[in-house]
Amino acid sequence: MKLNIEGLLVYFPYDYIYPEQYSYMLELKRTLDARGHGVLEMPSGTGKTISLLSLIVAYQKASPLEVTKLIYCSRTVPEIEKVVEELRKLMEYYSKQTGESNNFMALALSSRKNLCIHPEVSALRFGKEVDGKCHTLTASYIRAQRHSDPDVPVCRFYEDFDAVGRQVPLPAGIYNLDDLKDFGRRKGWCPYYLARYSLLHANIVVYSYHYLLDPKIADLVSKELAKKSVVVFDEAHNIDNVCIDSMSVNITRRTLDRCQGNVDTLHNAIQKIKETDAEKLKMEYRRLVEGLKEANVARETDVYLANPVLPDEILKEAVPGTIRTAEHFVGFLKRFLEYLKSRLRVHHVVQESTPQFLKDIFDKVCIDRKPLRFCSERLQSLLRTLEIADIADFSAVTLISNFATLVSTYSQGFTIIIEPFEDRTPTIANPVLHFSCMDPSIAIKPVFQRFQSVIITSGTLSPLDIYPRILDFRPVTMASFTMTLARTCLCPLIVGRGNDQVALSSKFETREDFAVIRNYGNLLLEMSAIVPDGIVAFFTSYVYMENIVASWYEQGILENIQRNKLIFIETPDAAETSMALEKYQEACENGRGAILLSVARGKVSEGIDFVHHFGRAVIMFGVPYVYTQSRILKARLEYLRDQFQIRENDFLTFDAMRHAAQCVGRVIRGKTDYGIMIFADKRYARADKRGKLPRWIQEHINDGSLNLTVDETVQLSKHFLRQMAQPFRQEDQLGLSLLTLEQLESEEMLKKISQIAHQT
Amino acid sequence: MPKLSPLKRMFPGVWRCENCVEMLFVRGSGNCVQCETPLRKSNFRVQLFEDPTVDKEVEIRKKVLKIYNKRDFDFPSLREYNDYLERVEDVVSNLTNNIDVENTKLQMEQYQRENRDLIQKNKVKLTREQEEVEELLLLEKQGNEQRRLELLQEEQRQLQAKRKNKQALLDELEHSQLPATMLLAQHKVRAAKLETQIEQQKQAVKPTSLFSTGINMRQTVSLQPPPRIEEVLYQYKPVHVETYGPPVPELELLSRLGYLNHVRAAMPQDTAGGYTSALACHRAIQDAFSGLFPLKR
Repeated sequence: MKLNIEGLLVYFPYDYIYPEQYSYMLELKRTLDARGHGVLEMPSGTGKTISLLSLIVAYQKASPLEVTKLIYCSRTVPEIEKVVEELRKLMEYYSKQTGESNNFMALALSSRKNLCIHPEVSALRFGKEVDGKCHTLTASYIRAQRHSDPDVPVCRFYEDFDAVGRQVPLPAGIYNLDDLKDFGRRKGWCPYYLARYSLLHANIVVYSYHYLLDPKIADLVSKELAKKSVVVFDEAHNIDNVCIDSMSVNITRRTLDRCQGNVDTLHNAIQKIKETDAEKLKMEYRRLVEGLKEANVARETDVYLANPVLPDEILKEAVPGTIRTAEHFVGFLKRFLEYLKSRLRVHHVVQESTPQFLKDIFDKVCIDRKPLRFCSERLQSLLRTLEIADIADFSAVTLISNFATLVSTYSQGFTIIIEPFEDRTPTIANPVLHFSCMDPSIAIKPVFQRFQSVIITSGTLSPLDIYPRILDFRPVTMASFTMTLARTCLCPLIVGRGNDQVALSSKFETREDFAVIRNYGNLLLEMSAIVPDGIVAFFTSYVYMENIVASWYEQGILENIQRNKLIFIETPDAAETSMALEKYQEACENGRGAILLSVARGKVSEGIDFVHHFGRAVIMFGVPYVYTQSRILKARLEYLRDQFQIRENDFLTFDAMRHAAQCVGRVIRGKTDYGIMIFADKRYARADKRGKLPRWIQEHINDGSLNLTVDETVQLSKHFLRQMAQPFRQEDQLGLSLLTLEQLESEEMLKKISQIAHQT
Repeated sequence: MPKLSPLKRMFPGVWRCENCVEMLFVRGSGNCVQCETPLRKSNFRVQLFEDPTVDKEVEIRKKVLKIYNKRDFDFPSLREYNDYLERVEDVVSNLTNNIDVENTKLQMEQYQRENRDLIQKNKVKLTREQEEVEELLLLEKQGNEQRRLELLQEEQRQLQAKRKNKQALLDELEHSQLPATMLLAQHKVRAAKLETQIEQQKQAVKPTSLFSTGINMRQTVSLQPPPRIEEVLYQYKPVHVETYGPPVPELELLSRLGYLNHVRAAMPQDTAGGYTSALACHRAIQDAFSGLFPLKR
């Protein structure tokens, strides 16, 4: 269907459209028009991806000079593949409608592990191994060595790509990971490097968050992407945690030991190179005396995305004299390392700010702030000069040098916590230095600064206004869209009491209470009797789940449940979990029905969809608060309070509710789907918790569904299920929640649509 | 067996446990047990680092840095400062690794003699970077203290407000004629209002990061004169607009030429605001006259 969105012709590859999709595109267009950033929340299963793609592609076609590129960031490889498939559908529709062949280029990018076609390298199991091996075959000096000695092994795919691949651009089309591999095999070119090279002139790039947010990777891959790009972060409800993780550093005793090994290797390599090829070191030295001017020019002319690990001051100055020569630098690293080792020998927990750390390090080992700041850059230069083949081996020293740079660059937003042992095992010494980032805006700042429009979108972003605050940006549009429904296909219920009137809660005081555990068991038992097919139950943590399941077993509740359905359990082990999931789905297919016990914040709660009969009910046992005793979290809460005026409790509730919403959102994956969402904790009934759920769930919680007992819940669920079991055809939806073009263009509908978007 | 205490060692290379040091050098100095060299107690130190060479290097470095204490502003350019830093590094590494010790020591002494005044002067001065760190630490301390106080005050205030509210309810229940349920309901509303008020106050508190002069607190103020920017003096040039039409009569001439005869005279209220009928008339004439001639190519 061809849509007219405020004067923009949008090709939409389906015959019908949901009203909220239209509304979403409207908001999106306004954001792009304003060249600003946006925060948009739309329920899962209402076609967010295709709305985004068709609008932005149309925008690109209409004004190719204004928006040159779409960078679509998603979280997992399957999600990336899904986006590419949608895009392929859209492009086919385009060429069918316009009759001309497609000149659009879109590609997905993933790690070497997913893209390598070298027979030996691709057989390796871990991503790091693949990267390291690839590096030993493709590094520039290895290839230079081959000129003199043809026995040195290199990757023939990379060689071929390097010889001819760069002259001929990748032909237009849509490439997912497999397409890239096929193309690479046909031409004999390395798909990974081909994809990385083609990023620059592709119209659409689909890849993972880390390629933009992790400074180390972004520097390699994304730094030359055009300014006039639109960046979309899909499923972005956890984006602050991704940002924080990408900037934080954890140093253990093992890291330091490996680092010591690295430093010794460096020392030996320098000695060796001095005997054989002293000229090389001298060349490097001369370059460093001149300063890092090259990088500076590039940044000034705005060619590159800024790198938060490489602060601006560095680029303007030359490397300080203290670490200019290679030996001095290695000595410097040794001192730094010994200092860290001495810090790790503490017997009690230490928490300090970065200025305190800097002062201490100067007093103890006379290390100034300035050389620390240059540490990361200096190490890179040395590794290049020494021609070290396997960079993966040097991850420890790289980590330490990154830490040095960060700690000396940022006086705020970071904290250093040294813990001599883990909280759970106070007798086993296992010292860890956490250098933890508390401000997610540091990592994402370059993205907001560089790109013209950044869209943050997900099914659950409520409350919307907290994201701009913690990420520190000014959005031009913030909107939350509801789901228009022909029938109420979701049924959120808040269970507050058991049949014996005992208040249900996972709060700390009643966590061990048998009455609560028994009532939770009864709830699951009763639901397993009336709900067809699959039920997913979420607990707040693995420990809590273990406790509860153990006592259910003792009380014989498990046995009773098993009469109705099979039970599967998620564990921290990824392989076991995927096995459990597979069997769970099999049981649902067979009609036997199954229950999956899993954990909020776990793998199941984030990425697995339970469409239709795979999930007819979801039960959230308790409020999934994060472990509040962790020192890192405490420091972060304090920081949020001082810097952003967000109170501890507000943030904790927000965090718990977004995870709860993620969990219960797993069952509704479309408008024909239906499911019961049970919040089994009386605290959900409070306004401050309820108000933080996404609007599309909140709408359906009325006063009648608050603080129910188990019996009432069962009654309501029965009623709901009976209603939902009636045949539901597409015609029933038409005109209400599914529109044809004519219906969409009617005056009345347009008025209705304008109310869908809930501006904040 | 005596409890093991941390090893102490004297530079270079004599190792004793802490108890032995206390025992052997009761008087502050004594001879080495093995080689009879005189040693001092105060020269024994606890080893801080795993690698003894690092301990030694840090020791030497501290000594060297006391002499080589030039700051970056003592040099005309950054390049020279960096060269100087590298020389210092060389001195330190020579002394630690026992390379050419004699010459290096001589070099140090010579430097010390040449720069005596500067060394004395710089002793009290911190480098700019250290200054910054100190400043940050100070700020942090102040901030923490202030926050603690604010938090205390806030809590106090909230507690008081709540107590007052409760007392008011009790009083009312005692004296008022209204039914108790109504009073309770009123009280509930009031309590909620109080909560929201406190909430809003909390939101309103903003940290200050600026001095009253608008200078960022975290910035070190440079005392250098601001760079002089040479600019050309502005010269007024009258605007000439090409209207492509006959010349428009001046504003002042309009009434004399009779244009105003056909325009509504300005009311007294209008003139008070600075309006005259000539203004509107002049605009209308400008409009009418412009664009009448063909474009000149």
